[in-house]
Amino acid sequence: MLIPCPHCGTRPVEEFTFLGDAAPTRPTTNDPSSMEAWYEYVYLRNNPRGPIEEYAHHSGGCRSWLVVSRNTETHEVFGAVTARDFSKAKEAKA
Amino acid sequence: MTERTFNRVSPLQDVALQGRFGADKGAVGVSFTVRHPMSIVTVIARAGQGAATAAALKGHDAQWAGSDQWFVLAENRGEGALYRELKAKLGGLASVSDQSHGRVIIRLVGPRARAVLAKGTPVDLHPDAFPVGKSALTQMAHVGVHLTRVGADSYDVSVFRGFSESFWEWITEQAEEFGYQVI
Ligand SMILES: [Zn+2]
Repeated sequence: MLIPCPHCGTRPVEEFTFLGDAAPTRPTTNDPSSMEAWYEYVYLRNNPRGPIEEYAHHSGGCRSWLVVSRNTETHEVFGAVTARDFSKAKEAKA
Repeated sequence: MTERTFNRVSPLQDVALQGRFGADKGAVGVSFTVRHPMSIVTVIARAGQGAATAAALKGHDAQWAGSDQWFVLAENRGEGALYRELKAKLGGLASVSDQSHGRVIIRLVGPRARAVLAKGTPVDLHPDAFPVGKSALTQMAHVGVHLTRVGADSYDVSVFRGFSESFWEWITEQAEEFGYQVI
């Protein structure tokens, strides 16, 4: 797989470390009533067949955190943005 | 009390031996030099200060080293001098740290320098994609490297000191087929 790093250009997947699904959103409170939301955020993950957005660290390159969107079934890579831009876009939507 | 001064020793001092090696017919394909001693300072801009930091680094040998990050290099500066200068100049704009003892810069010059490097990195080194002055962070032989084109046929490769000996063995082996010299 080739990943288009926004800082470095196209690089092989070997230069990246994947953290996992970027969909879960961290709860903004630690109020006891939010425990269910924390449980979901920390432990529960979908395992989609198809498109997914995942955190990736360009550990063998610019060391930036990115979000890569790809297809788990076909290995097609759709693109990559910085994790900062990803969370800004997510906040804007919320 | 006696003042003690320390002479910096290159980690490649006993490894990078001068001479001609590999293919011994015709002109050498690559010449290697260990740039030592160097002042190497990392500059990382604070949030939103990337452009201001880049502007403040004008006039320095500042090489791109990641988003809003640079390696600033200098020769013939005293111990810690470049660090102190940048620390004073960039206060509030960027974080500054002295890496002079932590990294080793190997310079490759010659008509086959690009061919040697291309064996180790997926980065496109064609001058259209990688012109003079451009830097890339990548891996070669499993070692993280900071690569800069410093001339039409010359490149600097900066690696962590602890990896420099195995990296040297690897890169000189790649150059054997072209014939190389160590200056
Ligand atoms: Zn990158």
